[in-house]
Amino acid sequence: MNGLVTAVPPFLVLAVAAALVLALPRAVGHALGAAATAFVFVQAWLAPDGTHLATEFLGFSVVFLNVDPFSAMMGLVIGFLATAAVIYAYASDAPRWLTSFALLYVASTVGTVYAGDWLSVIFFWELMAVTSTLLVWQYGGEAVRAGYRYAIVHGIGGTILLGAVVVHFVEVGSFLFTAETGIHATAAVLAAIGIGINCGFIFLHTWIPDTYPRPHIAASVFLSVFTTKTAVYVMYRAFPEGGWWLAYLGGFMAVYGVFFALLQYDPRRLLSYHIQAQVGYMLAGIGLATLGGEWGQFAVAGGFAHLFNNVLYKSLLFMVCGVVIYRTGSNYIKEMGGLWTVMPVAFLIYLVGAASITAVPGFNGYVSKGLVLDATEQISGNYPLLFGYDLLWWLLMIGAVGTFMSFIKLGYYIFFHGEAKPEHRGLADAKPLQTVGMSMAAVACVVLGVVYTAQLDLLPFADVANDLSNPYSYYLDPLQFGHIEKAAVLMTAGFVGFFSLKRPLGWLAHHMRDVDAVLHPAAFYAGRGAVWGVTELWAAVDRLTMRTAGATMRTAMNPRAALAEAGIDAEIRTGIGRSVLILTLAAAVALFALLLG
Amino acid sequence: MSEPLPLIELLLPLAVVVPIVAATLPLALGLRYDDVGWSVAAVTSVGLVGIAGAVAAEVYTAGRFAHELGGYQPPVGIELVADELSAAVLVLIAVVAAATLAFSRVAGPRGNAFYSGYLLLTGGLSGVVLTGDLFNLFVFLEIVGLTTYALIAADRSGASAYASLKYLMLGTVGASLYLVGVGYVFLATGSLNMLDLQTQIVEQASYTDPLIQAGFAFIVAGFALKIALFPVHTWQPDAYQRAPDSVTVFVAALVSTAGAYALIRVTYTVFTVDFLLANDAITTVLLVVTGVSILAGSVLAAMQSDLKRMFAYSSVAQFGMIAAAVALANEWALLGGIVHLLGHGLLKFGLFLAAGLLALGYGARRVEDLASLARRAPYTAGSLAVLGLALVGIPPSIGFLGKWYIAFGAVQESGAGGGAVGIGIAAVIFISTLFTLAYVARLIEQLYFAGVGLDDGHGEGVADTDEHGGNVVADGGQAADHDADDPISPKSGAPTTLGVPDRVPTGAFVVLLLATATAVALGFAGATFADLFDPFLSEVFA
Repeated sequence: MNGLVTAVPPFLVLAVAAALVLALPRAVGHALGAAATAFVFVQAWLAPDGTHLATEFLGFSVVFLNVDPFSAMMGLVIGFLATAAVIYAYASDAPRWLTSFALLYVASTVGTVYAGDWLSVIFFWELMAVTSTLLVWQYGGEAVRAGYRYAIVHGIGGTILLGAVVVHFVEVGSFLFTAETGIHATAAVLAAIGIGINCGFIFLHTWIPDTYPRPHIAASVFLSVFTTKTAVYVMYRAFPEGGWWLAYLGGFMAVYGVFFALLQYDPRRLLSYHIQAQVGYMLAGIGLATLGGEWGQFAVAGGFAHLFNNVLYKSLLFMVCGVVIYRTGSNYIKEMGGLWTVMPVAFLIYLVGAASITAVPGFNGYVSKGLVLDATEQISGNYPLLFGYDLLWWLLMIGAVGTFMSFIKLGYYIFFHGEAKPEHRGLADAKPLQTVGMSMAAVACVVLGVVYTAQLDLLPFADVANDLSNPYSYYLDPLQFGHIEKAAVLMTAGFVGFFSLKRPLGWLAHHMRDVDAVLHPAAFYAGRGAVWGVTELWAAVDRLTMRTAGATMRTAMNPRAALAEAGIDAEIRTGIGRSVLILTLAAAVALFALLLG
Repeated sequence: MSEPLPLIELLLPLAVVVPIVAATLPLALGLRYDDVGWSVAAVTSVGLVGIAGAVAAEVYTAGRFAHELGGYQPPVGIELVADELSAAVLVLIAVVAAATLAFSRVAGPRGNAFYSGYLLLTGGLSGVVLTGDLFNLFVFLEIVGLTTYALIAADRSGASAYASLKYLMLGTVGASLYLVGVGYVFLATGSLNMLDLQTQIVEQASYTDPLIQAGFAFIVAGFALKIALFPVHTWQPDAYQRAPDSVTVFVAALVSTAGAYALIRVTYTVFTVDFLLANDAITTVLLVVTGVSILAGSVLAAMQSDLKRMFAYSSVAQFGMIAAAVALANEWALLGGIVHLLGHGLLKFGLFLAAGLLALGYGARRVEDLASLARRAPYTAGSLAVLGLALVGIPPSIGFLGKWYIAFGAVQESGAGGGAVGIGIAAVIFISTLFTLAYVARLIEQLYFAGVGLDDGHGEGVADTDEHGGNVVADGGQAADHDADDPISPKSGAPTTLGVPDRVPTGAFVVLLLATATAVALGFAGATFADLFDPFLSEVFA
């Protein structure tokens, strides 16, 4: 059984399914697609730790199925969520091409996750960029330009990571993970930037809110969870030791992402900024890996738990927002409102997703965010700020409050905010199969939040996490903060914050632009300038060459005239006398060379 | 090695004596018959082709053989020797000599005296490649030289008389230098037989004996003039340009080739590769001189606008490569040198023949005369283009093989500790190839693309005429009196060939096509050449 499970490369199964989706009737094809993603889930569950499918690729030894707690956990959640997403896509009228591209995208994601060497990582990494670009482009319209920007960004990022992998190979002599822990130090900066682009590092993140709101709603569900989370996973593979730089980058991403999320009125754009914020929590956890002994491992477990949970609730939120967009046909939350009576199912599911991402007790995000916050509390002492807590802790806290605020805002504008608009009355709720897809994720969110030990058991460093974590602690003493109290404080701060700051935030939303206001024109004019510069430079070189060639030809064709122009009056054709002289000299030179040489 | 039959042995003196004796016939018979010269020459050269073929067949199956003239034993007696190298050059001489007749029959010069000179030259060339004696080599070189001087002036124009005189002066000084060198070697060893000298130089003197060294220096200086290496090439462009076309075809293909053959023969059979290794200075100087020769020849060729002069300077570069191959003292390079020696002879024969045919049919002598000539003479122009590209060294062609082996040997020699000079030669060959491409591309551009207005008005000349007003005719073409925009017209009475638009004589045209096809076909014969010359190469590099 184990042999069979590890003998099949999961990406191959998905790729075959992607082809079948195109060839077979729509329902059958989608069913097969869901079966293929379910296979990934089952395989991740059953496959024993170790390296499987070790082979030769392009003449280098590679491993296509490297199973350890990290990759198995990734495979599990990717398989689960992709199954839900395929069902959701079927119900959301996704064209067959879309599902086919999406399955290919999942295939390359799975390939990246299970890679046991850097060559396979970069190979599947680039494939992810290609397949996700196709997934965006499939929708046409304004997704095309955004997809083009997306392709450029990921082309650059992939090339930088490729550079890192090449440097790594030159230094280490092998692509295999087993040959060296993490990426070699000389390739660190390249790797950090290359992976960081996919993680959505601050200033490298603009492609996320630029791209994800534009394609088909089902495409957004796939896109929202795989590229960034895989990047976090690969970041850990590259930097298993972490570092303060990574932890603080994560902290600032949490605040930055949340701040800009607060300013958005396009639901999917708002969610996209939260991707950056949530990735910040994961990176903060990973960054602390070796900074606090056992608590470091605890932090990594927290980071990966948050990754795992984020895949579930983030896609859940994209699905439910997708349903609202699908029904109302609008991408602007101020045009909605009062929908909780019209779409109660969607509203309920939204509540689950929002509660999970904002870390309300009883939902999975509460457990994993708590792990990361606990770890930052324990590993501290470099930048103490207020009340003995570190800057990093405060950053993550502010991020948490901001998360509450923005999801209160999102829910408020979509589902409350007055009566439902006349044209929205009588709209249908989510379709049955959309509900099935969403429920899969929603149930998982609740179960993993309540039975939190089940979640911890799935994680790497499960022992440490089980030993140290107690998410449902509370103290009757009001001066002592347990987890429940903390969550209550955060939620209160969120409500107060949103309703008191609603107007200023609304004003700010019209005046505050993200860095893409600078980056996009800069890239555009830099590109245009480069084209102009190269063209003009080439033209200048061409003119110079042609002039030189012309002058040379003239001189060469009429040497006497050229000499006369230069004021030299000489006979250049050698007559008999001079020839004999030259011959004699040549013989003399030969003699000297031989006799004296 | 089996003892060859005496009959086979007799072929060697026959190859020399038959043309020389036949050379008297046109003059003698000319007393009674007009125009008997061509027939005599044709019969003789066909016979010579047979003799050369038989010699080659014997050499390449049974190996080297020799004939003692008059029954005197060497080293005192003179012997004629055929080995793998001389047989190949002999075949080239015989074939080119016979093929030239197809052209000279139409193009002239006419008259029995010319054919006497032609036969004498052929006999001399055979002698040069067959003789096994240093002084005898001088005699044959002088026969070749003197008849060449005469042939160059055969059309009795002032320019060719001057070119001939220049060659006469320089050639005589060069031959004298050679003779001085032979004298020194004779003083040091007391022998003139090549094979005998090989051992006598070691026994009677040494490789560093000043007499031997000086002898080699004079001999090489003399040969450098004969094969026209820069800077003692000055006679060659004048001679090739001013000589009658059929003489140029013959002389350019064979005379310098015989000189280069003599250089290889004397360097490797008489002085041997050990002498070169013992005298680093002379190989270095030789390599520098040949490198300069390659570059200067290529540049000067690219500067020319007269077709024959362009090909003449090109020969300076190509022989630079062959001489470099000799000086490199490397087995691959020498193989390349021999292949290039044969290939260059064939290519230059073809190129000068094509140029001569265009001059004969259309009066085209300069590069600009070729403009769009491919439309009037597609086959001749095509042959010219293919031969030119072969000269550049585009595979598959014999030009590529030779250059490739030389450059390969040069790099190998550098790698084996020969220093930077080898790499330098390889680089120089590469640069020279670029220059060769430059002037060949100029020819091709002129032949096929030069700005001649087409009848449908697409040419650039139309606009010009428009500006000047006037003679634009209704269909957008040019008025007939404007000939700058049309390819050059055939001369009145130019010969025709059945089935092709080219105005060329049939025999010479067929010969040109054969030469072109051979130049390309031999490009596939790299392994064959390596096998054929392997006995010679392994002997001299033993």
